Amino acid sequence: MKRTFTTLTEATLITAVVQSGLGEVITDALLEVGIQGATLHSAMGVGIRERLGAVGVAVDAERDVVSVMVSSDEVDRIFERVFLAGKLDIPGMGFMYATPLMQAATYVPPAILAKYTDR
Amino acid sequence: MSRRKTLRFGDFIQAMSVDSQRVPLAELMPQPLFDRHGNEFPQPVPKMKLGGGDILKILQPYLSTRFMDQARAVVPLAVYLGLFQYLVLQTPVMDATIIAGGLLAVMIGLMMFMEGLKLGLMPFGEIIGNTLPRKLPLFGVLFIAFLLGVGVTFAEPAIGALQVAGSIVDPEKAPYLYTLLNDRSGTTVLLVGLGVGLAAVLGTVRFLRGWSLKPLIFLSLTPTLVLSVIAFLDPELSKIVGLAWDCGAVTTGPVTVPLVLALGIGVAAAAGKGADSSLSGFGIVTLASVFPILGVLILSFYTAYTVPADVIIEKASEIKAASAMASAKTQWHETTPWTEILLGVRAIVPLVIFLAIVLIVILRERMKNASITYYGIFLAVTGMCIFNVGLTYGLAKLGDQSGGLIAAAFTAINSVEASPLYSVSVGIGIATLFAWILGMGATLAEPALNALGMTVQNLTNGAFKKSMLMGAVSFGVATGIMLGVLKLIFDFHIMYILIPGYTLGLFLTLLSTEEFVNVGWDSAGVTTGPVTVPLVLAMGLGFGNALGSTEGFGILAAASICPIVAVLTLGIYVQFKVKREEQKTARELAQTETFEGG
Repeated sequence: MKRTFTTLTEATLITAVVQSGLGEVITDALLEVGIQGATLHSAMGVGIRERLGAVGVAVDAERDVVSVMVSSDEVDRIFERVFLAGKLDIPGMGFMYATPLMQAATYVPPAILAKYTDR
Repeated sequence: MSRRKTLRFGDFIQAMSVDSQRVPLAELMPQPLFDRHGNEFPQPVPKMKLGGGDILKILQPYLSTRFMDQARAVVPLAVYLGLFQYLVLQTPVMDATIIAGGLLAVMIGLMMFMEGLKLGLMPFGEIIGNTLPRKLPLFGVLFIAFLLGVGVTFAEPAIGALQVAGSIVDPEKAPYLYTLLNDRSGTTVLLVGLGVGLAAVLGTVRFLRGWSLKPLIFLSLTPTLVLSVIAFLDPELSKIVGLAWDCGAVTTGPVTVPLVLALGIGVAAAAGKGADSSLSGFGIVTLASVFPILGVLILSFYTAYTVPADVIIEKASEIKAASAMASAKTQWHETTPWTEILLGVRAIVPLVIFLAIVLIVILRERMKNASITYYGIFLAVTGMCIFNVGLTYGLAKLGDQSGGLIAAAFTAINSVEASPLYSVSVGIGIATLFAWILGMGATLAEPALNALGMTVQNLTNGAFKKSMLMGAVSFGVATGIMLGVLKLIFDFHIMYILIPGYTLGLFLTLLSTEEFVNVGWDSAGVTTGPVTVPLVLAMGLGFGNALGSTEGFGILAAASICPIVAVLTLGIYVQFKVKREEQKTARELAQTETFEGG
């Protein structure tokens, strides 16, 4: 039997680099808006402590990186949500960006697959 | 007349949510700098300009989370003690404002000290642990580990509590106890430190060779118990046994454990032995609680054979007379803020200098982020000084007071007019219940226990749940503190708790697997943090003084053995349950096979 391979279109990746500990706050907020799942990993930030001077000691050099794939229609809504949850309006707390994805693939429930193969 | 008004949904969403505007990233970037040949040269690091509001926004979460960590441990205990005193003993807390200020100083001091430890001292430990084994032969590494063990003992915040406790001891009743805690307190702490140093060496060798902990426990505990029995048989020395066993609980605090562990794990990792067992972190804590006991016992024997008791009593009265004479013109370093500051500086600075010498002279390495390290060291020293002030005026005062007053529940105490407040049996019941709840609450609040629980849950693949371990340890500590209080009430010797306790512990060790032996013996050292130790020590001494018993030590010692027994027992039960389930599944499998066969 020939296997069919499904790719997802109109997907955007939102990546947020935030203070360590806030990563889980963001994933919690993301689960509330109905994302399928997100990736969380740790990293070290460089540079911000030097730029902040004496206040820099209050900024943790350890960072959480959250990556989540969302539908392109919803980027604005979820982008805002992540920005607020990560407290990115405070200096030194981190940054985030969204990148359009050319192709994406994952498990697609058969019900949804059937809807598209009919056409 | 209604007019239909239309609103685009998109506009509505825009208006409801956050205003958005667009700024090109180039605005955040400085212009590139070129020299006259057209080559780009490096940018100076531009300083970010912050308004007062921004600084506040950055500092607020930084300070509040760290302060709350300490407040969670201190406030419930203080509230419990205060309410108990007010409601059950019907005496309001004396000097409430001073004690509240002292407790605030404890929280602020610990907050600064822990942050300073993380930023200033831990990086030293990690660098030394990672690079030392590659630059020195094993003997040299072990020597440094030994010196580090001695140094960290002086830096341990709870060790100051011993000296504070020493001032309450009456030289007439227990001369050797008095001299070990007062004019010879430096030697006592040094011997405790030597014990910790020896434990660091043995623990590191154990990492390298992958020794089992069981024989080490037997080999170290047997001489300790034998010496204790010998001391117990001597009428003068028997008063020291409680102190000696308490020292074991005091040493394993927030400085010793991470620093010694960092070195040990670094050595093991350099030898390629780091990853083979997730248990490698355990064991050092156990050894570091046993060897100091041995050290203090040996010191007390030495003192007893060289100095007769009368000399000490004479000397103590001389000192008292001298201090009474000098009280008119106290030296500057004997008044309140200066004593604590001197103690704090003396505790941290030698350790930092030692670490720096190892780093610069032996390893020839430079600290990365030197300014952050300086800031950390500054925080650690300041925090230690503030903590010491709080220790004297907050924890020790409060513990001493409630310890002294709790006796009013069943005997007549001068400071409480209506005492005894209850009949003897009810009063003793109240006192023991009070001690039990205090132990339970203090242990559950200890953050180190939470971490240990997580480790154990992962190690046993969930068979030993975190809540089970925390419950077992807290129950053990609570029972131990209760036994310690009963010891003071009925004035029996601490050995009557220690001998059966440790015999049972050793017997259970024989039956348990290596994992549970490691976890069980370490759980005792983990639970006694910088808040619990001074509070319980002071409470015991105050209680002992109110009852007129010779010495109030031994509560911590009792609180160390009980969790060991509790965890080991639970471990054997868990093992038994797992085995039974395995047998059950095996039997079911066998049954289905016979069905299929037939």
